[in-house]
Amino acid sequence: MKKGLAALLCWLVLALPAAAGEVTGHFDLMDQNGRPVTDASFAGRVRVVAFGYTFCPDVCPTTLSTIAATLDILGPKAAGVVPLFITVDPRRDTPTHLKDYMEAFGPSFVGLTGPEDAVAAAAAAFHARYAIQPPADPADPNTYFVDHSAGIYVMDRQGAFVAKLGHRATPDELAERLEEVLRK
Amino acid sequence: MNRRSLLATAAAFAALSPLPAFAVRAEEGLFVHKERRLVPALDVRDGESQPVTLQGPALVNLWASWCLPCVSELPALDRLAPQIEPEGVRVVALCLDRSGNVGAINTFARLGVRNLGVYVDYQRKAGEVLGAAVLPTTLLMDAQGREAARFIGPASWDAPEAIALLRALAAGRTLDPAMAPPLAKPRAAL
Repeated sequence: MKKGLAALLCWLVLALPAAAGEVTGHFDLMDQNGRPVTDASFAGRVRVVAFGYTFCPDVCPTTLSTIAATLDILGPKAAGVVPLFITVDPRRDTPTHLKDYMEAFGPSFVGLTGPEDAVAAAAAAFHARYAIQPPADPADPNTYFVDHSAGIYVMDRQGAFVAKLGHRATPDELAERLEEVLRK
Repeated sequence: MNRRSLLATAAAFAALSPLPAFAVRAEEGLFVHKERRLVPALDVRDGESQPVTLQGPALVNLWASWCLPCVSELPALDRLAPQIEPEGVRVVALCLDRSGNVGAINTFARLGVRNLGVYVDYQRKAGEVLGAAVLPTTLLMDAQGREAARFIGPASWDAPEAIALLRALAAGRTLDPAMAPPLAKPRAAL
């Protein structure tokens, strides 16, 4: 029994850091206009955050379209929400490139990039994971994929983590969640 | 390539380049439905914003101008249309852009697309209603307006396999995963 308890305690101690590892949502990056921004830059607004990259070589997730459709559902309330897209491919996703891309989803979309270590730190702050793969075409170093975890993060007006929705969440589901957070 | 060989190829690829467990990557290829389901009604508009009703048999390709593999695939669809439309299969490239027909018309002009009509997902509901989590996704709709199969990922739509597949669709024959057109090779970035 004692042994069992000790084992349980040991397991708890080992398991706790991972379980309690908070999604802080901190980042120190630059937007598609080249302006330096941090999570504090969006204080007072609810944030919807997704990670990804624009050079999807085979298929592209529709996550940002889902977020755009969600903002349409929210109507005027969407003014209280800022959609953030954090690239996991800062080498190819330059601010200039992100500027064109974000425009396709709507004027309020913010695309974030930065030095590789800053992007890695941002991903870690959201417990998002990514891995740059070898080039699909060995003759062309620019043909690499970036595998990354998917999902949509909701952070409240103070920037605290509220929820992570799956990448297949519908605009209605996301809108409902945001309505709750906006009411607080 | 049939389903089994597709899976085998995917497995071989995975063995060469182990995919991290956290990565979400869609399985690509042709998925033939055991039971065909009616394609839900969508608010589709043409280049003049006039409502259009989708009628089968048709290939309905969901694309967006921000999706590079989608854009890469459009020229093959443009070459396919004059070959298969006289046989009664419509080729519908349905644009999911927020800018609506502006995005579609500009992309077609840039690519020199001549044969494809402008179709716009006017309420921007197609992705959700049709359950397309990734683009490009292409539905094969039969003469009764039911989805017989879908292809996930970019395909060589003007390849002989694709034409044979669409002929089978038009003839009302049972489709087989072995009828899949070849996946288009990942495009070179930039």
